[in-house]
Amino acid sequence: MKKATSLLLALAMTGTLLAGCGSTASSSAAADSTASGATSEEAAATGEQVTIKLANWDTSTQPAVTQLVEAFEAANPDIKVEIIDVPSADYTTKLSVMLNGGSDVDAFYIKDADTMVGLAQKGQLADLTSYIEADGIDLADFNGLAENFNVDGKQYAMPARTDYYIMYYNKDVFDAAGVAYPSNDWTWADFEEIAGQLTSGEGANKTYGAYLHTWQACVECWGVQDGQHTIMDYQTGYDFFKPYYEMALRMQDAGSIQDYGTLKTGNIHYSGPFSQGTVGMLPMGTYYMSTLMQSIANGESSVNWGIATLPHPEGVEAGWTVGSTTPIAINAASDKQDAAWKLVSFITGEEGAQIYAANAQIPGRSNDEILSTIGAVEGMPEGAAEALAVKNIALDRPVADKVSEVNQMLGEEHGLIMLGELSVDEGLAEMAERAAEIVEE
Amino acid sequence: MPRTATGTAAKRSGMSLNTRNTLVGMTFILPNFIGFFCFVLIPVAFSFVLSFMEWDGFTEMKFVGIENFLDIFDDRVFRAALVQTVTFSIFTVAFSMVLALALAILLNNKLKGVNFFRAAIFFPYVASIVAVAAVFKAMFMKDGGPINEFLGLFLPDSMLPGWLASTDWALAACIIVQVWKNMGYFMIIYLAALQDIPYSLYEAASIDGATKWQQFKSITLPMLTPSHFYVLMMLVINSFKTFDLIFTLTEGGPGTSTTMLSQYIYNESFISWNYGGASAAAMVLFLIVAAVTLLQFRVERKFNDFM
Repeated sequence: MKKATSLLLALAMTGTLLAGCGSTASSSAAADSTASGATSEEAAATGEQVTIKLANWDTSTQPAVTQLVEAFEAANPDIKVEIIDVPSADYTTKLSVMLNGGSDVDAFYIKDADTMVGLAQKGQLADLTSYIEADGIDLADFNGLAENFNVDGKQYAMPARTDYYIMYYNKDVFDAAGVAYPSNDWTWADFEEIAGQLTSGEGANKTYGAYLHTWQACVECWGVQDGQHTIMDYQTGYDFFKPYYEMALRMQDAGSIQDYGTLKTGNIHYSGPFSQGTVGMLPMGTYYMSTLMQSIANGESSVNWGIATLPHPEGVEAGWTVGSTTPIAINAASDKQDAAWKLVSFITGEEGAQIYAANAQIPGRSNDEILSTIGAVEGMPEGAAEALAVKNIALDRPVADKVSEVNQMLGEEHGLIMLGELSVDEGLAEMAERAAEIVEE
Repeated sequence: MPRTATGTAAKRSGMSLNTRNTLVGMTFILPNFIGFFCFVLIPVAFSFVLSFMEWDGFTEMKFVGIENFLDIFDDRVFRAALVQTVTFSIFTVAFSMVLALALAILLNNKLKGVNFFRAAIFFPYVASIVAVAAVFKAMFMKDGGPINEFLGLFLPDSMLPGWLASTDWALAACIIVQVWKNMGYFMIIYLAALQDIPYSLYEAASIDGATKWQQFKSITLPMLTPSHFYVLMMLVINSFKTFDLIFTLTEGGPGTSTTMLSQYIYNESFISWNYGGASAAAMVLFLIVAAVTLLQFRVERKFNDFM
C-alpha cells in the first residue's frame, strides 16, 4: 500500500504537468505558425532592453555558466539574461513543465542529450538552421557533435559542452615498473599488455595495472568508439562488444584489474583507487580532471598523474574517442528567439568556448587553441592539450528513442557477464534479444 | 465516520444535534483528511487513470485500454520481478515471524541484562538503511567477507556462496538482511502481547500437568492471535513494498535477479518515462497487497468470533 504511496507522490508531481499540458496545444500551435523569426518584434531592433531566461542546473557548481552570462551581457548591453537554476535531479522534469507552460523559458541546456528527440518531436525546439546559415557558422568546428542534433535537415540544438573518455595514468606506477608512459597513439591491445606489466604486489599492497569501473560504459564504449555502431544496433547481436568483454574478462582473470564483483559489492567509486595511487591506468571521462585537481589541491590525494588519448581499436585512427555532449536549444514558443539565439551563438562560439576552457571544461567547439587554454589551467598535467586532442567523438548514448531503457538493460546484462554468470556469447545474445523486445514493443 | 449511536443517545431529540456532532467530528478529521486527499487519494486515482494511458510525461496522453497490462505481463523483467517479490515476501514473512516470536519468548524471561539484549535486537530497526546496506555489502563479500570467512571453516572454497555477486544467492542475502533488520520491531510487539497473558493460565496448566510445549501450543500461541494478525499484515505489506533496502544493497542486480515490483515501477517511471506501464504495475502490486490484506481481515474476524 505504501508502495503505491511512493509512486503516487511521483504522480502527484506529474499531476502538475497535466495542468501544463492543457495549454500546450494552443500555445505551441501558435508558436509553430510564427516560429521562423517573425516573432521577435520586441527584440533588439527597437533598442530596448530585453530579458531572456536561460534554464540550467546546479549553477553554483558550474562557474562557467555564470561567467558566460556575464560576458554575454557585457557584449550585449541591450539583453539581460536571467538564469533559472534547477537542482539537477529535477531538471528534466522541471524543464518539460516550463516548456509545456509556453514561454517560461527562452534558452535552455538539455541535460540528457537523448531527450532532445522527444522535445523536437513535440515541436518545442526552435529550428536554428536559418540562424546558423545567416551567421555563417561552420558546424564542422564541433568535431562531429552538431550532427547529432540534426533531425530531417533541421538543426535543433547546438553542442555547448562535451566530455569524452581519456586515459588517466599514474606516473609513479609507470616509473616503478620501468614502463614508458603511454603515447597518444596506442591500441587497446597495448593497454592490456601495459596493464599486465604494471601489476605487482599481493593482497593489500597490490598495485593493479588498470581500473575498469563497473559501468557497462567502461567496456561497451570501446565497441562503439569507431563510430560504426551504437548501443542501439542490436540487430548485429552486439558482436562489436565482444572483443572488449573478452579483454575485460581476461584482465580480470589475470588480476591486472580488480574484479567486478569486488568493486560492485565494495561500493567503490571510480575516483578512489586512482587517487589513492593503487592503479596504473584509468579510462574515464574528462569530467574527472577537475575532481582530481581539486582533491590534489585539498591534499586528499597526492597522485602524480598524467593523461593520454584513449587507446583506439586496431585499424581506427588515433584520436577517435567516445563521449557525451550537453546541447543548448531555444524554446519554439519563445517570443524572444532572436535574443535567445544571440546568447546561444555566444555560448557555443569562440568566446564561449574560451570561457569553458578556462574552467577546465571542454566546449563543444574545440580546437588546438581551446585545448591549449585547458592545458594551461593550473594543476593540469604536462602534455594535456595534446592528449585531449580528438578527431571524432562517438556518443556513448546516441540521440534516439528508447536509449535509456536499452542502456538500463545493458547494465543488467553487463553485470551478469562480468560476474561470469553468463558467458560472453550468452550475455550478448540476451542483450540483443531484450533490446529487440524493448525497441519493438 | 460519524456513528449513528450518537443519534440514538440523543433520543432523536433533533437532527440538529446529530448534524452538529457530525460536523464537529468531521472538523476533527479534516486536517488529516486534506493531506490524505491531496497526497494519497488523488495520486492513487490519477495512477489508476494512468494505467490505461500511454504517457511519457512529455507528450500528450493517449488512452490505450488494457494494453499497458498486457505489455507488462509480456515483459520478462516484470514477470521476474513479480516472482521475486512473492518469493522474497514469503520467506521474509515466515522467517521474521518465527524469529520475532522466538526472541520475544526468550527475552520474556527475567534474565540478567535482558534490557540490553532487547535493545540490541531492536537496534537494527532504527538503524539507517543506507548504513545497514553498506555494512552488509562488506560482510557479504565473496572473497574475504566475514560471512564467507566463517563459512570457509566448514565448507570448501568452491561451495562458498557468492551472495550479492551471484544470481543464485543475491535474493537470499536480501532476505537475510531484511529479516535481521525488521525482526526486532516485531519482537517488541510480541513481547508486549506476551506480558499481557495472565500468569494464572500457565499456573493452572502446570497444575494440570501440561508440559512447556503444551503450554506454548495451547496458551501462548492462541493468546497471541491478535498480535499474529497484526504482525503478519505489517510484514506482508512491508515486504511487498520493499524498495530502499534492495536498491541500496543490489540495485536489483546482478542482472535482474533481485528486482522487486517496486523497483520495476521506479525504473519504468524514471528511467523509461513510461508512466502508463509503471502505473499498471503499481495497480498489480496494489491489488496483490489489497487481496492479501482483505483475506487476512476475513480470517481474523472469523478467529475473533470464534474466540
